[in-house]
Amino acid sequence: MMRAVCSTTALAVAISLAGCGDPDATSRGRTSVSVQLNWVPEPEFGGFWQAELDGVFADAGLKVELIAGGPSVPSAQLIASGKVPFGIVSGGELLSINERGGSLVALFATFQGDPTAIMVHEASPWKTLEELWRSDATVACEANLPFVTFLNRKYGGENLKLVAHSTALANFVNDPTLAKQCFVFAEPVTLELQNVPVRVFPVLESGFNPYTAVLVTTREHLAANPETCRAMVMALRRGWDGYLADPTKANAAMAKLNPAMSVEAMNLAAKKQRFLVEDETTRSHAVGWMTGERWNTLAEQMNSLGKLEQIPDEIEAIFWQPPVDDGPMAPALEDSATS
Amino acid sequence: MPRIAVAAPPIAVVAATVLLWWLAVRAFEIPEYLLPTPGAVLEAVWVERDRLAWGMLATAIGASGGFAIAAALGIAIGSILGLSRFLERGFYPLTLLLQMVPLVALAPILVVWLGYGQRAVIASAAIVALFPVIANTLGGMRSVDRDLEELFSLHRAGLASRWWRLRLPASLPSIVTGLRIAAGLAVIGAIVGEFVSAYAGDRAPLGMVIVSAMREYRTDLMFGAIGLAAIVGFALFGIVNFGGWLLLRRWHASARSSSD
Repeated sequence: MMRAVCSTTALAVAISLAGCGDPDATSRGRTSVSVQLNWVPEPEFGGFWQAELDGVFADAGLKVELIAGGPSVPSAQLIASGKVPFGIVSGGELLSINERGGSLVALFATFQGDPTAIMVHEASPWKTLEELWRSDATVACEANLPFVTFLNRKYGGENLKLVAHSTALANFVNDPTLAKQCFVFAEPVTLELQNVPVRVFPVLESGFNPYTAVLVTTREHLAANPETCRAMVMALRRGWDGYLADPTKANAAMAKLNPAMSVEAMNLAAKKQRFLVEDETTRSHAVGWMTGERWNTLAEQMNSLGKLEQIPDEIEAIFWQPPVDDGPMAPALEDSATS
Repeated sequence: MPRIAVAAPPIAVVAATVLLWWLAVRAFEIPEYLLPTPGAVLEAVWVERDRLAWGMLATAIGASGGFAIAAALGIAIGSILGLSRFLERGFYPLTLLLQMVPLVALAPILVVWLGYGQRAVIASAAIVALFPVIANTLGGMRSVDRDLEELFSLHRAGLASRWWRLRLPASLPSIVTGLRIAAGLAVIGAIVGEFVSAYAGDRAPLGMVIVSAMREYRTDLMFGAIGLAAIVGFALFGIVNFGGWLLLRRWHASARSSSD
């Protein structure tokens, strides 16, 4: 949300939540871990803040430091190289970086539905994503991302003019003919509050729907610290359950750390992202739940788009999640996890 | 000095650096997403040669356009500021702003003002390349021989004649130095501009290729594109150097010594 403004502060800000609810955390011997976010505090990370504010991380024996990301923070490389034990990447990023020597394992998929979308001005002539993609419009997007190649394959896109995607919204606001990549609950919400009416075309409706905002660790970290990883996932599930029930407390906390996004905008975004976090799978299992079928579909799609040379032999090995009825959360003290 | 003796040291240093790079990747088993081998970079450049050739051309056009504007404006502004201490004191701090401005933050605004494509790229390149030309032109104008200035005064030479026949020639070595610095900076400015304003596609400039490769964890292609951007910078620097040599070779010690 308000990525343009946030981006200037994102690089410098590291937000420590450790001890927010319990200043005496270390004396109780919690396991310290850090999580590299891929953006600044906003509702897509609401479950983390809720888990901290509700004391869920503390109950799980974790002392969690959340590190803000930004457009120039190489989050995936930081996690894959072991600089931080946990972090947030997209499903496509996980597959790409693993093919190039990484060993990331997905633990929790925040979004069952990919929030990536293309927005146009409401007064523009395009009523659907297909209409837009078959036109000669100018679209500001990350042109080499798999979803763009997917849309090009599906709808042609020969006449489109793809231009560099920056986080700034001023270009879009000033140019009524411009289309722009966005997250359905982010930029459109900001513009709605600025009385700039837009039409939003979610990319997932085209059939390309990777897991997004995925909590990952490395295979080595998971093998050495299974209890810490289990505790993190269990706590995050509870955090998200709490955030979905009432996001206002976590949003107020995040808004203090992200001055570019008001509490009002965060509350609206939380409402709009809900249908992407919850679906049949999460209702029958747990929030953040992943399936091998979904990962396999993504790998096959990326392979057919030329974004992945090989489909991983053991697709089940790229994600790990504790069962839903895994009993009460046990403090993760037996592991040797460090931040 | 024999040509081989001139060429050998840089070739040896580059070869040793590449060898160390290759050894480091192998010895420390550095994964490809962090650092590719030199061989992987060369392979990526070869496989993507068409796209990268167009990228080099587009970046070279953007950087050259920005450099040309910076050169013309820089010499003009430096010459005007050199006319009086009052003007210099008044406007020089403003020109310093060009040096201090964080281009990465400014570039998105340039796109709003100028739209997508080469105009914003050229403007970005011109902004970063302008200051060294102004500063060196001004320095040159300030160091003109006083006796010659008085001689021109005795002959009641006009402002234009004084500038054309005395100040500009006397400042040329300093101006050429400023242009050399500006040549490298123009490429950096063009790449930053391309990050936010370039068109994508098969003929996208190197800045766009770098961003795309980075997002796909194609470090091999990214390093290749960065290397080619450096070659564009070297080429522009070489052209300026050659131009400077042509202008100065007959009378200035710096050009004569380099051609000896």
